[in-house]
Amino acid sequence: MTDPRIPIADPFAMWREWVAQSERQWNALLNEAMTTDQYGQSLGRFMELYLVMQKSLGEAMGRYFTALNIPTRGDVLALGQRLSAIEERLTRLEASLERLGTARADGEGAAAPVRRPPRTKTPAPAGGETP
Amino acid sequence: MTAGTPASEAAVEARVRAEIERAIQRNIKGLEYLTTADPAMGLTPKDIAYARGTLRLYHYRPLAEEVYRVPVLLVMSLVSRAYILDLAPGQSFIEFLLRQGYDVYMIDWGVPRPEDSGLRLEDYTLDFIPDCVSRVRADSGEPDVSMIGYCMGGMLAVIYAALHPEGPLKNLACFTTPVNFEGMTLFHRWCDRRYFDVDRIVDTLGNVPPELIYASFEMLKPAARPAGQARLWDNMWNDEFVRSYRMFDRWAADQVPFPGECFRQTIKELMWENRLWKNTLTLGGRRVALSSIRVPFLHVMAEHDHIVPYESAKDLTAMVGSADKREVVLKGGHVSLVAGANASRRLWPQLDAWLSVRSV
Repeated sequence: MTDPRIPIADPFAMWREWVAQSERQWNALLNEAMTTDQYGQSLGRFMELYLVMQKSLGEAMGRYFTALNIPTRGDVLALGQRLSAIEERLTRLEASLERLGTARADGEGAAAPVRRPPRTKTPAPAGGETP
Repeated sequence: MTAGTPASEAAVEARVRAEIERAIQRNIKGLEYLTTADPAMGLTPKDIAYARGTLRLYHYRPLAEEVYRVPVLLVMSLVSRAYILDLAPGQSFIEFLLRQGYDVYMIDWGVPRPEDSGLRLEDYTLDFIPDCVSRVRADSGEPDVSMIGYCMGGMLAVIYAALHPEGPLKNLACFTTPVNFEGMTLFHRWCDRRYFDVDRIVDTLGNVPPELIYASFEMLKPAARPAGQARLWDNMWNDEFVRSYRMFDRWAADQVPFPGECFRQTIKELMWENRLWKNTLTLGGRRVALSSIRVPFLHVMAEHDHIVPYESAKDLTAMVGSADKREVVLKGGHVSLVAGANASRRLWPQLDAWLSVRSV
């Protein structure tokens, strides 16, 4: 007779359980450390360092590119801004043209607009909840 | 079965065989994993109903013979990609809504450009969202609109609703929407005003880079990545698991920059001063009083949300002034609440049951 109460040791299941448990424990442990004042302070210092590096790197690259007569990030951004402005104006023009086209088509009895399903759906009697 | 008996030996043998088979599959599929591209996402057919800067208002093509009268407008978060709501056929919230008979629009904020660093909460809630709402009304020909906001998108939708109590909002549903920023314990500690120089960050960088946003989300669960990779290796033989892992992993890593001024405002006014919760937030000279929201309201939260913990979201329903309001807490985390197999069984049907009867 076999006894179903005694499970077979499954090393893979044990490993999966260990992964899940370790994840929970490490998250809890590290999260606790991250709520301390010291951690907040270190994070602040790290951000400060990161910003100093970003700033000096940006300035150095800017000088380097200017010396090589290559557009800097600022130049590219300025171009990007001008392109965005042109894009916006084109969108507005497109919308105006569409409105003009629709108005003219309405007057000339043009083809029917794109078919859209009717807005007649009601919730199934069994489904939904009472509002 | 007792260890040592012929039956138990047979079971062990079968188990070992299965594991060997999986190990072989892991190697084959692992190679596939490394050599193939991530699955494509956000593929539900759609048209651009309106474009403005990086903002796109999408109108999804209907998948039902008839639709509910009231169109639905989805508002996405500023710090994550919109395709989380349209992962893949069969796992897409948007596809689900379309099949259930909703006329769906979505505001996708796109990727902010350096010149967008001056955008503030006022721009989103007093200009962009109202603009999109009026476009949806014009396009659909309906006078009112239902709104669904996810995470920070929910917060923008709530602020919009509070600032436009006269309408034309019909229903408002929010998923995992923070209101009490002191409840976001870890973020709150990391942004401690004594050490976190938000002015210097914004003045130096303009928009907050996506790497910083990604790193801050990763820090919330520092052991999740190695454990996730161990699970991926373990399940490499399982195509469905791998596909799902890749989609979520790609989305999580695909962060967008946070518009600088809006970040400054979020840190100072929401994180430090907790003004939304204290009812003292003022935008464009108007106070954001959540009690002025009167439309039917639904707030769905996730039991194991590590990004917007329950403590930070739980007061929202009580603060909203609607007589018809409901709060639901579902199993799952911040992302699995809205996307993936669990969402399709838990959140989506609940939302449909709530929204369908209010969409005629």
